[in-house]
Amino acid sequence: MSDAERPTDDHVPGAKDDEFEPIQVFPEAEEMDLRPGADNCYKCSTCDTNCPVAAVDDEFPGPKFQGPEQWRLKRQDDHDIDDSVMKCSNCMRCDSACPSEVPLSQMHNTARAEYVEENMSKLSREYWRNRMLANYRRLAPLAATFPRTANFVTGLSITKWLGEKVMGITSEREFPEFATETFREWWTKRGGAQVESDEKRIAYFHGCYANYNTPEVAKALVRVYEHFGYEVMVPEQSCSGTPMFANGMLDDARRAAETNVEELAAALEDGADIIASCSSCSMSIRQEYPELFDFEHTEDVAANTWDAVEYLRVHEDLEGELEGTSLDGQSFAYHAPCHSRNQGLDGQTIDVLSAIDGIDAHDVGDSCSGISGTYGWKAENYETSMKIGEEMFEHMEDAPAETGLTECPTCSMQMGHGTGYEITHTLEVLEAALLGTELGTAGSGTGDGDADAVDGGRREAK
Amino acid sequence: MANDTEVLVLGGGSTGCGIARDLAMRGLEVTLVERGNLTDGTTGRMHGLLHSGGRYAVSDQASATECIEENEILRDIAGHCVELTGGLFVQRPEDSDDYFREKLEGCRDCGIPARVLSGREAREVEPYLANDVKRAIEVPDGAVDPFRLCVANALDAENHGARIETHAEVVDLLRDGDDIYGVEVRHESGPGNRTHKAAGTTEEITADYVVNATGAWAGQIGAMADLEVEVRPSKGVMTIMNVRQVDTVINRCRPKGDADIIVPHETTAILGTTDEEVSDPDDYPEEGWEVDQMIDTLTELVPILEEARTIRSFWGVRPLYEPPGTGTQDPTDITRDFFLLDHADRDGVSGMSSIVGGKFTTYRAMAEEISDHVCEKLGVRASCATADEPLPGSERIETLEAGMDDFGLRSPVARRSKQRLGSRASEVLDTDEANPVVCQCEGVTRAEVCDAIDQSGSDLNAVRIRTRASMGNCQGGFCCQNMANELHPAYDEETVRAALDELYQERWKGERHALWGEQLSQAMLNYALHATTMNRDRDPANEDEGDGLEYDNFDGGRPTAETRADGGARLRGETGGEDSSRGRGDR
Repeated sequence: MSDAERPTDDHVPGAKDDEFEPIQVFPEAEEMDLRPGADNCYKCSTCDTNCPVAAVDDEFPGPKFQGPEQWRLKRQDDHDIDDSVMKCSNCMRCDSACPSEVPLSQMHNTARAEYVEENMSKLSREYWRNRMLANYRRLAPLAATFPRTANFVTGLSITKWLGEKVMGITSEREFPEFATETFREWWTKRGGAQVESDEKRIAYFHGCYANYNTPEVAKALVRVYEHFGYEVMVPEQSCSGTPMFANGMLDDARRAAETNVEELAAALEDGADIIASCSSCSMSIRQEYPELFDFEHTEDVAANTWDAVEYLRVHEDLEGELEGTSLDGQSFAYHAPCHSRNQGLDGQTIDVLSAIDGIDAHDVGDSCSGISGTYGWKAENYETSMKIGEEMFEHMEDAPAETGLTECPTCSMQMGHGTGYEITHTLEVLEAALLGTELGTAGSGTGDGDADAVDGGRREAK
Repeated sequence: MANDTEVLVLGGGSTGCGIARDLAMRGLEVTLVERGNLTDGTTGRMHGLLHSGGRYAVSDQASATECIEENEILRDIAGHCVELTGGLFVQRPEDSDDYFREKLEGCRDCGIPARVLSGREAREVEPYLANDVKRAIEVPDGAVDPFRLCVANALDAENHGARIETHAEVVDLLRDGDDIYGVEVRHESGPGNRTHKAAGTTEEITADYVVNATGAWAGQIGAMADLEVEVRPSKGVMTIMNVRQVDTVINRCRPKGDADIIVPHETTAILGTTDEEVSDPDDYPEEGWEVDQMIDTLTELVPILEEARTIRSFWGVRPLYEPPGTGTQDPTDITRDFFLLDHADRDGVSGMSSIVGGKFTTYRAMAEEISDHVCEKLGVRASCATADEPLPGSERIETLEAGMDDFGLRSPVARRSKQRLGSRASEVLDTDEANPVVCQCEGVTRAEVCDAIDQSGSDLNAVRIRTRASMGNCQGGFCCQNMANELHPAYDEETVRAALDELYQERWKGERHALWGEQLSQAMLNYALHATTMNRDRDPANEDEGDGLEYDNFDGGRPTAETRADGGARLRGETGGEDSSRGRGDR
């Protein structure tokens, strides 16, 4: 009897296939398939001309190849992504450069994750170095428990030497100092929110750096928002995922994002909007989460996340409030982080600060700082990173200011490293203007007072 | 007088090239003539489906059985031309259950491995299938590159001593009484070494036996010797999508109809098709609504097609045939089987047979049968080896795919290059020369382009079908000129320009049927790039001498300041509105 005579009911495949049970080997196959995104590319190469890595590294093929071309050449069962994807710094400038809405950074993030998953040895130094850098937050609590010891140890030249030889982390940079009291410790000690409000409530996503390294920035946010009458909530949170995306550690990022989405969605439920002080954290939650994950409420959380200054400009009369305040004799060389630029926020800091009397803030142009999170920490990228930063360093030095200003922790490290300037965060300036506190420079963070190290770094880059 | 060749094959499509290879391998002396490029007729205008036979399993079981046999042979002998995609016959809720059952039974009757998948299982295989598809039959359909397959056959025929003459149009059959003894061809004018004879000259080629393998054009050839060949050309439209929305061949499981198949093809997906009889295979309307209607219908199966980018559309002409007196009205009902018409038996004219009907997947079996017939006519005893001997590029394909060498190329470029070149990969890609990517869309390197130029001379369309260069989403906008550049210095400037123009025109021919959305943006960008960087909107170098630019029509050039007698500055060239307007008007 022919198989054909057997019933062919919906769930009864041919008799000999009775045991057939589909197994999904790659459960994400559907969402990972970004080939249709290549439809938007007409190959104009604007992304390539805006890529800071391609500009200084001839070996890097640029975002057009990394994104639409590589995806278009791919087939469902191909998993050998080209290794050049690891040279992408994930600055995401290609996203804003593209005139045709090609999902470039989504393609890079996905391809990088696939590369790490399929092609990178889980035993290699590179993998563990990247895993460690991406999961800086896992190490930070330990350092925060013994901050002085940690700072002493990381500052030792033997540590840096070992870091470079063993882990491939550049010895040119100073490790960021850990604060003696984390933001969350301060928050608990303080007794949490000091303003209560049913109408005006925010959930603060401080991220890792403002918690462990620059709590002054986080405290500034709390004080500024309380000044405007907001009740501040500080929900449980994990890393935003930015360094994990950049290192292709998508599983780590997924775990972190799942926690964040769950906690932040609960805060939304409580009537809060979500505010971040780090431009990469807000970028990650707003853009990368919905592009890469589909947990429940991901879209909601993304749509209700704001940059700290942006939110006040929209919901309060921030400039009006700043009228009449003054900070005498303060001049800043301001660098807009790429991830702020991608959120359309590159003009706002200069605009807002111009309302404060006595402040002179100079935009140092639209170049990339070059560090891009963990990228510039890798020994093999250090030189490229400093070459990219060259334009920013020069513009900072040309600007009539001796203090740097930015909203991104690692841009801040790079600015300090390249110029020796102290670097501050916009929220600290707002705090000083609105509350009359003394202006701190917690944002410099790198401990780079050492002019020799600075010059050494730059000399090699040239 | 001895003839020029033992066997003369007319037509450089899959059938002709297959016959040439078969006979050459049997030791016969073979010449093949083709009007244009290899594959220029129907072969280069098919949807790239390697049939499992499933499509004919209900209507034409003889064809279906033959398909599955040949499908398996081609996987062996032409591994670098086929991709084992698998195929699905997808049933939508409104499609007939009875037909689904008939299809399944038909497949099994014909020895085609077939398995039923539920709608959910089908969507696991192909996530972009519509949510409401009911179920599907999985069959071993595949994808085949007709260009590569045809070229490999021709190449192997040449390796066995055949003469392959492209751009040589048959202008007359040489008939002496009741015997056909050869043809007269006219060598086309055109760039480069693609003609063995001077352009515009004619040549008589005599042969012991002539095989008319011109498919849809067989009637026209027959008419040259007053023979009637009742071929019924039928056109079908195909649209190329920019990316592969599916990696499996998707067929609609219903009795017959237009727009019922999506074939993943290299980096693209090809939508097909329609079936409408035409009177002249060289002149028929190509209409936009045919494309629109096809996309609309296939969107029922794969909804993202509605918004997806198409890069071009093309029409092909099937060489359908049915014996006189059958009188089938609807071309979709005409058999896909092939017919060997021996004009000696049929018309009392010896020296020639015609082959009509048939389909790409079974080209090799057709070639074998015809070659047997030719050998019988010529009294040659030799057996066919084409089912066992791999084509050039497909030798030792398994060991090649296991090879890790990327030849210094980025991995997706290396992967696609190795797939195209098969076992020839290291011969072509292992080079000391700089080997940049020439065609970014398809990942084609300079070494591969140069290899194709070595094979086919200055004809860039011949380079295109060998490499896929210029077949991606920019449709040659970014690479045609770089391909042309590789012709220099072996070819002179005039030849290179002509080759570039010819390739770019050919690209435009298909792209003009896709001018909306992103492909319109692409066309605009291509135009602007070519106009502003190469003057290709009106290239002065292409103007005929003496009839070219009228330089007097230009003004004096950029104004420069010069001192006036009165001490003020005056711009030279600034002659005032009246003067300049008269200047323009006068000439």
